[in-house]
Parts: sequence; C-alpha cells; structure tokens
Amino acid sequence: MGRAVLVFRLVLADVRRHRAQAAMLLLAVTAATATVALGLSLGGASEALYEQTRAATAGPDIVAYAPELGTPVAPALEELTRAPGVSGHNGPFRIVFATLTSRGLASLVVVHGAPEKPGAVDRPLVTSGHWVRPGGAVLERGFATALGARVGDRVTVSGRTYPVVGIAVTAATSVFPWAPGIGPYGGPSDGGGLVWLTHSDAKALASRDLPLAMGVGLKLSDPATARAFIDAHRDSTVMVNFHPAQFIAQQDSVMLRDSQPILVIGGWLLSFLAVAGVAALAAGRAAEQTRRAGLLKAVGATPGLIAAVLLTEYLGLALLADALGLTVARLAEPAVASPTASRVGSVVGPTVGVVVAATALAVAVAVFSALRPTLLALRTATVDALTVTAHRPRRRPLLTALSALLPTPLLLGLRLTARRPGRAVLHGCSTAATLIAVDALLTFRVQPRWGYAQHRGGWGAGLSGLPNLRDDQSGRLLLSVTVLAIALALVNTVTMTWSTAMETRATMAVARTLGTTPGQITAGLSVAQVLPALPGAAVGVILGIGVYVTVGDARTLPISSMAGAAIATVLATAALTAVPARVAARRPVTQALSAETT
Amino acid sequence: MQDAVLAMLAKEPSHGYDLRARLRRSLGPLGESMNHGQIYVTLARLEKAGLVVCERADGLPERPERKVYALTPAGQQRVAAWLTEVGWPKPDLAEFHLKLVAAAAARLADPVELVAAQRRELMRRLRETQRAALAEPTESAAVVLLEGVALRLQADLRWLAACERAWSTGDDENEGA
Amino acid sequence: MTSAVAEARGLTKVHGRGESRVPAVDAVDLEVPEGQTLAVMGPSGCGKSTLLHLLGGLERPTKGEVWLAGRRVDTLSERALARLRRRSVGFVFQAFHLVEELSAAENVELPVLLAGHSRREARRRARLLLDRFGLTARARHLPSELSGGQRQRVAVARALANEPRLVLADEPTGNLDSAATLDVLRVFEDLRAAGQTLVIVTHDERVAATADRLISMRDGMFVDDTRLTGAATGWLGGLAGLEG
Repeated sequence: MGRAVLVFRLVLADVRRHRAQAAMLLLAVTAATATVALGLSLGGASEALYEQTRAATAGPDIVAYAPELGTPVAPALEELTRAPGVSGHNGPFRIVFATLTSRGLASLVVVHGAPEKPGAVDRPLVTSGHWVRPGGAVLERGFATALGARVGDRVTVSGRTYPVVGIAVTAATSVFPWAPGIGPYGGPSDGGGLVWLTHSDAKALASRDLPLAMGVGLKLSDPATARAFIDAHRDSTVMVNFHPAQFIAQQDSVMLRDSQPILVIGGWLLSFLAVAGVAALAAGRAAEQTRRAGLLKAVGATPGLIAAVLLTEYLGLALLADALGLTVARLAEPAVASPTASRVGSVVGPTVGVVVAATALAVAVAVFSALRPTLLALRTATVDALTVTAHRPRRRPLLTALSALLPTPLLLGLRLTARRPGRAVLHGCSTAATLIAVDALLTFRVQPRWGYAQHRGGWGAGLSGLPNLRDDQSGRLLLSVTVLAIALALVNTVTMTWSTAMETRATMAVARTLGTTPGQITAGLSVAQVLPALPGAAVGVILGIGVYVTVGDARTLPISSMAGAAIATVLATAALTAVPARVAARRPVTQALSAETT
Repeated sequence: MQDAVLAMLAKEPSHGYDLRARLRRSLGPLGESMNHGQIYVTLARLEKAGLVVCERADGLPERPERKVYALTPAGQQRVAAWLTEVGWPKPDLAEFHLKLVAAAAARLADPVELVAAQRRELMRRLRETQRAALAEPTESAAVVLLEGVALRLQADLRWLAACERAWSTGDDENEGA
Repeated sequence: MTSAVAEARGLTKVHGRGESRVPAVDAVDLEVPEGQTLAVMGPSGCGKSTLLHLLGGLERPTKGEVWLAGRRVDTLSERALARLRRRSVGFVFQAFHLVEELSAAENVELPVLLAGHSRREARRRARLLLDRFGLTARARHLPSELSGGQRQRVAVARALANEPRLVLADEPTGNLDSAATLDVLRVFEDLRAAGQTLVIVTHDERVAATADRLISMRDGMFVDDTRLTGAATGWLGGLAGLEG
C-alpha cells in the first residue's frame, strides 16, 4: 500500500517536473493511437451504417436488375416475386438511365419509378420534404448533398424539369455514386445519382429513347438463403443481375478503400515518430534517471520497484494518451466513416479489437521508449549510479580521426554523431518517416482524377461534374497525417538537438575555453543533426514512392517536388536545430563547467 | 591576560565581580578553567603598576564588593598600544620536528609511532573542542573562539600527516639502502 | 555471534581487472559495537568510501564477510539487500542525493513507504524527524529551495526514517561550509547521544573528532584504530592562550 503511494508519488513528481516531456509523450502517442484506431474502426463502419439504414428502410435482401435490350424483362422479374422463399417484394419498377443538371452541375442519374405509397419492402426514409407525387422528384440524400440540392429546387432530368419534393435514404442501392447497380444496356456503370419519380413520370421519361432497365427488390423469408436463391434462379433466359444486401454493403465500403490504408500506415509512421521522439527524450534523461535509481536503491528500493517507477511513468502517460486517442477516433469516426450522406445511423465506436490494438500500440511505444533507460538504471551498480554525471558514449576512433581534418563545425558535428550512433539512426528514421508522409501527399496531389457520376470525357461547356468524395476524403486524411508527422518530426528534431546539447555541454564548454566560438558550437550541433537527416531524407523519398506505388497504385510520380521536399526537410532541420543549439551554446562557459560537477 | 582586563575597563570603571562575569561570558566553556581569584590578583598587579586606580564605593549592604576599578592615563595608553599591536603567538613546531629527527637518528624510537601518538592526543583535544563548540548555543561569541582552537588543531593534525608521510617514506629509503 | 551491529572479516574489494587490479579494501577486520560512533579517515583513494559501501551492501566484496545485525549480508540477493538496507541501514551522502522532485517531508517519507508502512505512519515519522532537526518550517520545500546544511539534515532525517541499526555517512560535510558543517555535526551529536550506531567516512579532522573511535586507513588497510574518549581536560584554556 505504502509502496503504491510511493510509486504514484514519484511518478507524479517526475511528471510535474518534466511537464514538457510528459506533454510531448502524451501528444505523440495520442496522435498515433487516434490515427490507428480510426483506421481500424473504419473496417466495420460502413457495414454497420448499412445495416442501420437497412433496418430503417425495410431494405430488401436481394435487388435484381435486368437491362431492357429489346425483349420485355418484366415477366421474368414478376416470376421472381412469386418464387418460393420470397416473402415480400417491391416492383418490378422501371429504371431510366438519364442525365441531371442543376445550377451548372451535371451528373449521370438513374431514375427509379416508385409507388406513391411504398409497400412492405424498400420504404425509403424521407429525411426532408415528402415522398414522390406526380410531377415531383425525390433525390437520394448522398446525391442531393453532393449536388447541393434542397427541397424546392428545380432539377432537369434529360430535358424535363421537376421540382425536388423530397430527399430520402434507401438501403436498396449502394451509397452515392454507386446507386445505378448496373450500367446502361447491361454494361459497366460510370456511377450516378438516384432520383425517384412516380411510375407514370418514369414511364413518360422512358419514352425519350434513353437506356432502360427493370429492377425488383425481394424480401426472403430466410435472408440467410439469399446466395442459394440467386444460384437457383440464375439460368433464366433473360439477363438478370442479382445484388444481395451483402454485395451492396461491400460496395459501400469501397468509399473507404483508400482512407483505411492512409490511416493505418499513417498511424504506424506516427507511432514510429513518437517512439523516436520519446526515446530521444528518455535517452537525454538517462543519466538523471540512473542517478535517481541509484539513490532509491541506496534507501532500500528493490530493482522491481525502480523498474515499476520508471515504467509506470511512461505506461501511465501512454495509457492516458491511448484513452485520449480512442476518444478522438470516436469523435472523428462519424465524419470519416461516412463521406456520403447516403446512410443513416450512428457509428458503433471502437470495437474491443480496436481498443486492444490501440492500447497495445501505446504500450509498445512506452515500453520501447522506456526500456533502455530502465535497463540502464537497473544494471548500473548503485555506487556508480550515484556518481554518474553523464552518459559516456562510445568512442569511434576512425571517425574521430577522420574528422580532425575538417573545419571546426563539421568536426564537432561528425564527432557528436559518431559518439551517438543510436540517436543518429533514430533521427534519420524520423526524417524518413516524415518524408514518406510528405511524398504520399505530393504524389496523391498529381494523380489524375475524375468527378463522380460523370462520363470520363466530362461534360459540356458551362457544366461541371460532382466532386470525387473518396479522393477528397483521402486528400484530407493524407494532409492531416502529414501535418501531424511534420509536427512530431519538428518536436523530435528540437528534442534531439537539445538532448545532445545538454549531454555535451561540458565537452563544448571545454572546447570554448580552447577558443571555439559559440557560432562554431551552434553549427557543430546543427551538423550533428543534419548529417543523419541526409540519408534519412533519401531513404524517405524512396520508401515514399514504394508505399504509394504498391498501396496507393500511383500512375504519376512528382519526382522533382519530392526531391524539393527532401531538400527542404534537410534545410528545415538545419534551421530548427540552430535555435536550441544556439541557446545551449550561448550559456556561460563557467556555468556549464560547474554544472557537471554537482 | 593583564591587557585584556585593562581593555575591558576602557568602557567604564567596573567592579572586579562584573569584570569576571564579562570575561566568562566572552570565553564560554574556556572561561570555566579560570581561577576564581585570578581576576583580583591581576587587578592588584595592575594597580601596583599604576595602570588602574581603585576607588571604594558606597557598597550596598548585601554586596560585600566595594571596590571599583578605573583606568589611569598610563593605563589608557597601554590599552591603545595593545590594540594596535600585531604580535601573534608563535607555534612551537621546531621542537617536535627535532624530536623526530633525534629519535630517528639515534634509533631511540620510531618517528612514525611518535607522530601517531601525537596525532591521537591532538584528535582527543580536537574532540573536546568540537564537543564544547557543539554544546554552545549558536549565537554564543565563544563559538568563534572554539572554532579558532579547532582550526589550529586541524592545521597541526595536517602537519602531523605530512610528517607521517615524510618519515614513512624515509623509512623505506633507509631499509632499501 | 557478537553484539556488534556491523562486522567485517577479511573484507577485500578489488577494483579493475588484470594488470590494473587495485585492492580498494585489503583484508580488513572490523567490529562496530552497538551505540558506537566510528570515524574512518584517510587520504582520497585509501578505500574508506568503498569500505562504507561494502558495509551498507551497496557493493559486494571480492572476498571476506560482512555481517549486519548478526546476519551475513555479502551473500544476499540484490532484492534481499535492498530490503535489508531499507530496514537496517541509513545512508548519508556527500552530494545529499535527495530526490529533487520531492519535498523535504516526502524525501523523509520515502524509506518508510518503501518499507511498506502506511502513509499516515510515514507522515508521522517525517514530522517527528524534521522537528527534531529544526526543519519543520521547511517540510514542504523542494531540495533546491534549501541550503546545503538543510539539505544534509533532511538527508540525515531520511536515513533515520526506518530507525536503522546503523547509519553510514560518506563525507557528510564535504559540500558544506563551516557553519553548515557545525549544523550537521550537531545533528550527529544528537544521534550519538541517543545511542545511534554511526560510521562516518571523512577527510575532515573536525568531523572525525566528534566520534568515539577513529580508524585511519591507507592503501585499503587500517593503520590506526584509536578510542578518542577520555582525553585529559583543562588544556582547552591553555590552547586558547589563557594560561597565567
């Protein structure tokens, strides 16, 4: 009991004393866990939304489409509604492939002929206005949102103008822009919005020489038999496309196909940056921690208790960050999980699996960061720990000898790097991780892009297509991840420079008594950070290309702007490191010298 | 001692009793070793030398003390001279040094042993001084005096350590020769 | 088994390896009886600090035995040693070694909590000890807000928090000026009077002189072992120039 109080008190006191470090650990781990948790949550998100929409709109178990290619298809679909196992149906209804224009925007649409009073199956949920009536159109909500259309607007469908009388949501089609299900004449679909008209209005439109099809929504007495039902009815003489509910839901999740890898890979990059930054901070404080462990040992603390104090601090902060990250993910999930407005319901929040994965990630970051200082503190003999003043890095004789030939700042920088190979590697990797994110963003920006629900050839003069919701979301997420990565990398660079400056202040003070100027010391410390950033930047560019070509399926690579980003990163490193290095270098020599002896 | 008593009279004429109390206050535990009659012996000597005069005052019935001492002009001159004097007691180290040399030369005794014995004695004295200093209240003036005693003993002990080093290496050389 | 609080037999500690082997402590026998104040003096590098670390179980001997309160400790595990230190030994260091993030009172509570006592008990002991050493007004201060003498007094209070059989002090006044030294010596005098067994390693004769017994070390061996009690009295006045 008393010991728990002690651990808690020591941890709290340490956190209070090192607020900036605690805040940094908290922020870094929060960013990483939030991103990963969000990425992983998206896995089941679209399915959950689909199910809720289906429940709210009496969605059919199977939707069957048949293109009209000269022979009437209605009888075949009628026959399906009477097939054994079918407990209810909607239709058959007419489908017209048309174009819609409204206020300078143009889109491909499918027009569904709908009953003025929906039956037991497929009862679209009207979210504003009311259901179809003669001469009035109802727009699917995802489409209406992309179009910016509201109830009362007028839309023109293949030459005929209708007022928008309502906006509704259905589970019978996939989310915008995949409502058509099948393309004109049974061919591939370019996507499009969904518009409901009354049966007679749809029939009137159908007479205008547009591609036609018929559809029917079926409710089965046992939804689990959908697959068997489809197999049993496939060999009809008419070409029929069956879309089971499961297929519709799967098509929904295509909307998130890019978001998920961006978030998950981005989450790993951020985790890595968090480890690098926190490990650098922990290393900078290793001497202090070791000394504290020594004095705790001297007053009778067991190795277990010392490890508990060190690990509890990192773990406690990491778990707090984990909770924060999960909360952020939960709050961001509704917006990210449903880029279209085609679905109703709420996201379920992170599942147990997601919570476990995010927590494991946070714990891993904490353990990776705290492991080395903890082991160091435990391994160092008590007496040595009490007299330790600074981490004594290994000497690299060859590099040290080589550097003797160079100008002073380079010489200092090379020696500092040579004596801290672990930190150099961390910094290089941190730079690489940042550039991977930056490169992904740059590559993404130059990819060719098509608007939704339009022919690849585009529209006529004065008209524009609808935005590509998926790419827009990908761009936003990439930008967020990249901004977070850059922010963490900035903090890391400053931290690493400061740690190095603190560790080497005695050496640098001696160098200054020998006539080295503060400017040379500043430059030396900067060089020590820039040296590992150079290979890091190169590796980052290559890995960034690799990731985007394999995962992102890129067609164009902006090599020149990638190189520019790499150079900018190295320059930014140099500029950033100059600040802490200069602060450290300008301290009076005597202060630095005496600080080392206490 | 005579000079100190004279100097204390410079402030104002006093009874022998008051003088003694003031001396004891300034010396703390060191004053306790002072003989009870010592102050009167000293005053008598000073009176004989014409440096102080003694006046009989109207004593109170319960105070047998009737004499009040005051400085004469000669006494005042002597006080002034004493205050400006820069003399300092000489430490007598040569004697101990010669003792060691003689002991070594005649092989009468081991100089290192002599040093160790001396060291033990000085350490005991230092212990007593330190304990006396620690027993004094912090604001007592005598603490400064005791610190002086302790510092001198410390200096002597360090010199003894130097002697010990010198004589033990000398020993080795003798054996080697 | 003797009644010695601390005992060493043939205690040897060799630092370094191969050619550079240096015996810091060389086959030393020592017995510290209950209630004794022992000072160990010697030039730097004579092995006095190593001796102290060996007695307190901070280092393990190369050869020989260490007994604390009738129990052999050189064979104990790191964990058992920690437990022993917690209950039986209090350390005072030259550099104070207070936990900088914790207040004076919390530093004193530290070993009490480590020993598994309640917070209440820890608070009670800290209050008593800080009061005893005149630090009540400073209880909530961080070490950085205290003077050297105050810090060392807090460290002594911390060393005493579990009422250890043995207090080991390594150059306790090495970082202190004359007045602060006197402050800390007063505290040690208080411990001595209370019958606390105390071993002080120092190079300051004035600190060593407060002990009952003085051991001089050179090259890892004892060269002198003297009782300081029972000195001739009456010389004090003479030394201050009060003769005649």
